[in-house]
Amino acid sequence: MSEVILATVSVSKHFGGLAAVDRVDMTLHRGEVLGVIGPNGAGKTTFVNVITNLLPITSGQVYYKGKEITSWPAHLIARLGVARTFQVVKPFKRMTVRENATVGAMYGAGGRGRSAAQAIRKAEEVLEFVGLGDQMDKQADQLTLAGLKRLELAKALAMEPELLCLDEVMAGLNLRETEAAMDLVREINRRGVTLLIIEHVMKAIVGVCQRVMVLHYGQKLAEGTPQEVLNHPLVIEAYLGQKFARRQAMGKA
Amino acid sequence: MSNLKPETPNLQSKKPMPVTRWDRLLGTRRNAVYLGACAVVLVVLLILPHMSLSGFVLTSLTTALLLAVRAQAWNFIGGYTGYAAFGNVAFYGLGAYGTAILMTKLHWPFFLAMLVGGLVATVYAVIVGLPVLRMRGQYFAIATLGVAEATRELVSSPQLSRLTAGPTGINLPFFRPAGLSGAAAAEAGSIFFYYVAMGLVVLVVLATWWLTRSKLGYSLVAIREDEDAAKMLGINTTWAKVAAFALSAFFTGLVGGHYAYWRTFILPEEVFNVRYTLEGILSAVLGGPGTILGPVVGGGIYDAVSTFLTFSKPFGIDLGQFHVTILGVFIVMVIVFLPRGVADFFGRRKLSWGMFLENVRQNRV
Amino acid sequence: MGILIGQSLVNAVLLSGMLALVALGFSIVWGVLKIINLAHGSFIMLGAYVTFTLFSLYHVDPFLTIPVSMLALFLLGYLIQTYIVNWVIRAPLLVTFLLTFGLDIILINLALFVWQGDVRSVSPAYAGTGLTLFRDPVTSQGVQVPYVRLAAFAISLVLAGLLYLFMSYTKLGRAIQATGQDKDAAQLTGVRVAPTYALTFAIGAALAGAAGSLISVMQPFDPNMGGGYRLRAFIIVVLGGLGSIPGVILGSVLFALVDVLVGISPLAPLKDGVAFAMLVLVLIFRPTGIAGKAFY
Repeated sequence: MSEVILATVSVSKHFGGLAAVDRVDMTLHRGEVLGVIGPNGAGKTTFVNVITNLLPITSGQVYYKGKEITSWPAHLIARLGVARTFQVVKPFKRMTVRENATVGAMYGAGGRGRSAAQAIRKAEEVLEFVGLGDQMDKQADQLTLAGLKRLELAKALAMEPELLCLDEVMAGLNLRETEAAMDLVREINRRGVTLLIIEHVMKAIVGVCQRVMVLHYGQKLAEGTPQEVLNHPLVIEAYLGQKFARRQAMGKA
Repeated sequence: MSNLKPETPNLQSKKPMPVTRWDRLLGTRRNAVYLGACAVVLVVLLILPHMSLSGFVLTSLTTALLLAVRAQAWNFIGGYTGYAAFGNVAFYGLGAYGTAILMTKLHWPFFLAMLVGGLVATVYAVIVGLPVLRMRGQYFAIATLGVAEATRELVSSPQLSRLTAGPTGINLPFFRPAGLSGAAAAEAGSIFFYYVAMGLVVLVVLATWWLTRSKLGYSLVAIREDEDAAKMLGINTTWAKVAAFALSAFFTGLVGGHYAYWRTFILPEEVFNVRYTLEGILSAVLGGPGTILGPVVGGGIYDAVSTFLTFSKPFGIDLGQFHVTILGVFIVMVIVFLPRGVADFFGRRKLSWGMFLENVRQNRV
Repeated sequence: MGILIGQSLVNAVLLSGMLALVALGFSIVWGVLKIINLAHGSFIMLGAYVTFTLFSLYHVDPFLTIPVSMLALFLLGYLIQTYIVNWVIRAPLLVTFLLTFGLDIILINLALFVWQGDVRSVSPAYAGTGLTLFRDPVTSQGVQVPYVRLAAFAISLVLAGLLYLFMSYTKLGRAIQATGQDKDAAQLTGVRVAPTYALTFAIGAALAGAAGSLISVMQPFDPNMGGGYRLRAFIIVVLGGLGSIPGVILGSVLFALVDVLVGISPLAPLKDGVAFAMLVLVLIFRPTGIAGKAFY
C-alpha cells in the first residue's frame, strides 16, 4: 500500500448554522487520482478551501504525509507541496503569462533556494508543458478562457507540488479542449503528482480517476471506483439522475 | 503529448491595451530611451548647483527632489502592493523627530541621525503594520490615516514632551561646514542639502529597481493582483506586505530627517501634516504607480505645477489666494482624465485626445 | 464626582445625536456608492457657514436656517455627483479617494476665500440657557443640559428617523437601497443608476449640512473644522456597521461615551489616538461592527 499523502478526519466547516462540509473522512494515497463529485453546493470546493486553509476549519483534522496540518497558515501548506487551482480562475492580470508562472516557481515547494532567474526558467518549462509556450509574453488578461485555465494549471504545477487539487478545470471547455485537458491531467499524474479532482464532467471523471468520492450536502455519500460510484443508487438519486444511469447501463454514458 | 495550441481568436482583444508594466522604468518597453534620458537629467542635476542659480531655485529643486522620494516611497506599498496607505506622513514625522532628537540631545552627526531616524520609522511601520495590513482597501487607507493622526498626537502629547518638546517643536543646530558662517554657510548649506536630496532619489530609485527583479517584488505584485491566489502559491503575504510597508517607511523617514536638519526647526503640525502624504500619493498617481520612474516624474510635474501656481502671475493675474484651489482642480482633472498617470502617455503608440475620453468612459457610471 | 459623571453621561448622550447625524450622511454614501467621501467634512463646514451667514447678516434664528443649509448642500451634492464623481465612480478606490480629497481642498479654500480663516461662532440670545438637573441644594451645582444641545439632539433624532422612513418605505428610498446592494440588478428593474447615485450623494450632503448648522451653534468653527468630523464619521460607521441606520446610532452612542470619558481622563490629549485604537480593535475583532455586514 503506498504512502498516504492526504488524510482528513471528520473535517467540518460550518457557516453559521449551515454545515457546508460535514464530518468528511477520506484518505488519498500517493500517485492516486481521486475524483470528487456531487451536486452544486455539496461542499466540494469548500472542502478544498478548508484543507488548504483558505477558509478556517470548524472542526476535524487534516494530515499531510502523516503530519497534522490543520489550520496551518495557507502559504506554509502550499510550501509543503499542496497546490490547487480555482474554479473561477484567478490569474495575476497585470503580469505576463510567464510572470504568473514564475510566482509559482518562486514560492512553491520547489521554490526554496531558487533564484529569480532559475524560477523564470522553471516557469517557462512548465508553460511549454501546458501548451502556453507561445504566449509567454502576453499579459494574462488577454488570454481566452481555455488559455487562462492552462495558466491556472501552470501556476500550480510551477510549485512542483506533490498533491494537486483541481477545481472544475473542465468547466467551460469544449469537447476538444476537454480531451486535451484530460491528456494533460493524465500526464501530470504519470509524472508522480497525486491528484484530487473536483468535476462535473463525468467523462473526465471516468477517464482519469481511479477512485471517486461523492459529496452531498457536505457529507460523504459514497466512495469507490468510478463504476461503483456511478451505479450507486444513492448517487444516482442525488446527483446523476435516472436518465444518466439508463444511458450508462446501455453503454452510452 | 499535450502540445495542442489553445483556441485561436482572442475574444478579449476589444479591451484597451494595458499600458503600465511594473518592471519597466515608465511602464513600457522603451527602457533604453528612458535610461538615456535619465542619464542626461542626472548629469544636468549634478552640475546645476555650480551654475550660480538663485537660492530660491535651488531650494525649489530640493523640495521637488524630496517630493519625488516621498512619492517613490509610497510606490512600494501603494503602487506595487496595491495597498493605498494614506498615513505615510507618520513616518515622515518620526524620521524628522528621530533625527532632531538624536542631533540635539545626543549630538550625533547628521547622516547617522538621519539613518537612525529612518530606522525608527521602519520599526514603527513593522509594529503598526502587522495589525493594520490585515485590512484591505478602504479600511486600510483610513486606518493608516488614523495612525498618522494618532502618531501626531502621541508625539505632541505632554506625556512625551520631555523627549519631543511637545507642541513647541525642536530646534536643530545649523549646518556649519568647517570655518564658514553666515551667508557663505547658507549657500554651502543649500548645495549640501540639494546633493543629499539627490542622493536619496538615486537610492530610492535603485531600491525600486532592485525590487522589480527580486522575489519580493513578484510577491508584492501578485498580492496586488490577487491576494488569495498569492497565498495559495506559497507567498507569506503578511511578511511581504510588512516588508513593503517598512521600505516605504524607511525612505519616507529619511526624507523627514533631511527636512529636519534643512529647516532646523520642526513642529508637530508641520511634520505630521496630512498634506505631505497626499502630495506624495498624487505625485505617484500622476506619474504612474507601479512603475520604477513614474512617481519621480510625477513628483517633478506636481512640484512644478504647484510652484508655478504659487509664484507666477499668468496673464498678470495674481493667483494668490486661489493657488491651492486651482491645485485642487488640477488634482480632480488628473484623476478624471488620467487615472493611470502620465505613464499612460508613454505607453501609447499614438497620442490623441481620444485617450482622455477613453479613460473617462472606462470609469464613469 | 457624581456630578462629573452625570454631566459626562449627559454630554455623551447629547453629543451622540449630533455625531449620528454627522455619520449618517457619510454612511449612506459609503454604503450605496461604495466611495468614501473625503469631502464630507467640508459639507458639514459649509452647512455651518450657511447658518453663520444667515444669522450674522439677516439675523435668522439658527435653527430656522437648517432647511436652507440642507437644501443648499443637497443641490451642491447633486451637482458634484452628477458632473464630477459619476465620472470616476467605477475607478479603483484610490482614485475616488483622491478625487474627493481634491474636492475637499477646493471647498476648504473657497471657504477661506469667502469667509476668511477667522474662527467664527453663532451665538443666539438663548445660547447659554438650559436645564439644570439633579441640582445639589447646597452647592447649587447640577448637571447642565443646555437647551441648544437638547434641541440639536432632538433634531438629529428626527432627521435620522425621517431618513429611516424614507429609505424603508418610499419607492425612491428602496431604489437607493437596491442600487447599493446590486446596481446591475437594480438597473434591470428600471432604476436609473446615475440619478440614484446623485440623489444619495445629495441626501448625504444635506444631512451633513444640517449637522453643520447644528454644530455652528454649539462650538466655534473655521474652514478647517471638517477634518475631525470626517474621521469621527468613519470610526462611527465602522463601529456601528456599514449599511445599517440603527447601527450608526449605536456607534455614535458608543463613540460619544468613549470620547467624553477619555476627555475627562488623563488621556485627554490623546483623544484621536484612543479613537483610532478603538477603530483598529473593532476592525480586527469584529469587522462587521455592531450591526452591519463586513464589507471586505
